[in-house]
Amino acid sequence: MTTTSTTSSSRKLTIARAMAEATAHEMRKDPSVFVMGEDVGPLGGVFGNTRGLHDEFGSERVRDTPISETAFIGAAVGAASDGMRPIVELMFVDFFGVCMDAIYNMMAKNTYFAGGNVKVPMVLMTSTGGGYSDGGQHSQCLYATFAHLPGMKVVVPSNAYDAKGLMTAAIRDDNPVVFMYHKSLQGMGWLGTEKGATVATPEESYTVEIGKAAVARQGRDLTLVSLGAGVHHCLRAAKTLGEEGVDVEVVDLRSLVPLDRETVRASVAKTGRLIVVDEDYHSYGVSGEIIASVVEHDTTCLKAAPRRVAYPDIPIPFAPTMEQWALPNADKIVDAFHQMMSN
Amino acid sequence: MSTAITVPEDLWEGDNEGVITAWLVEEGSQVNQGDLVAEVMVEKAQYEIEAPAAGTLTITKQEDEVVAKGTTIASLDA
Repeated sequence: MTTTSTTSSSRKLTIARAMAEATAHEMRKDPSVFVMGEDVGPLGGVFGNTRGLHDEFGSERVRDTPISETAFIGAAVGAASDGMRPIVELMFVDFFGVCMDAIYNMMAKNTYFAGGNVKVPMVLMTSTGGGYSDGGQHSQCLYATFAHLPGMKVVVPSNAYDAKGLMTAAIRDDNPVVFMYHKSLQGMGWLGTEKGATVATPEESYTVEIGKAAVARQGRDLTLVSLGAGVHHCLRAAKTLGEEGVDVEVVDLRSLVPLDRETVRASVAKTGRLIVVDEDYHSYGVSGEIIASVVEHDTTCLKAAPRRVAYPDIPIPFAPTMEQWALPNADKIVDAFHQMMSN
Repeated sequence: MSTAITVPEDLWEGDNEGVITAWLVEEGSQVNQGDLVAEVMVEKAQYEIEAPAAGTLTITKQEDEVVAKGTTIASLDA
């Protein structure tokens, strides 16, 4: 992005660059696509995901907004309902409180209320996750909060390849899509750097189908299911357990709505053991939904009770040691497996 | 011929140190002159490092390593 490009076939992108590249490509192709949000213009987004767009497309199509999420997300719903394809950023998902009426009473439901006569083709992109001591109002994931409410698609990429393909698919989708990106995967150093998220990414445009999980690693003994940053914890845990002779499969959900239950069930049918890893809160969340999706379908495939490694049901602590204590990590996943096998 | 990739002296203002946040090309791959190869973060701002020549990349400063202006971070062998 920006003024330089890399022509090498082994080119890698951060998720931040992948999001910007997908957005730029769709903006060149489709004049109805535009971007709106706080600091998305000349700054390029506080998480880097609109870098270069203002230079190329200008202030009309890359619009910095006042700090009023209620106003600009409501405006995006109106624009989308009237034929535009806005990409609007809620800088931290934690800020959803002020603008939830625009999101879940308007964006998510207008098509239904209008008997299918109004489309709302917009992307709501929003940052998730903590780990860098930004306090309880800048560090949540809230995946389940959005996935719970009908009317919105929800995607959560774990790497740049998927981020580019999912962003392109989201912009082209005629339904509202919530694009939740984890800060530690953005390639912005001060938010923590997850190297595994920066992967080879084609320059040409492509889509990753919304609603399809990926098997990030194949194995026979244990299924780890996760999303976003959790996928990388799972891959590290899989490596550790591999040294103990345990063959671990890792399923990257990629989309929460629609949810690819088939891929999860097929994996657990093969391994017989399931641990769900989620940086969102433990109770009433993604981890419970995944386990229910397996056991309501078939309990005979299970060799052990499923487990979850999720965020405890507490506000995110500011103190670094307390926050790190609360976060999921590879060691906790390995421990959960050992406990599973000792019962 | 080997060409060093160094952090340009004029990449950012002042003499603060930075950190490599991402390598955007795999170790051992062929890059062209002007390719974007790495990102360096200084005080929460990111800067881009381009290849000064074509060649095969050998990385000497990995992600999360601290760098200053003039630090050699990789070499290119043509």
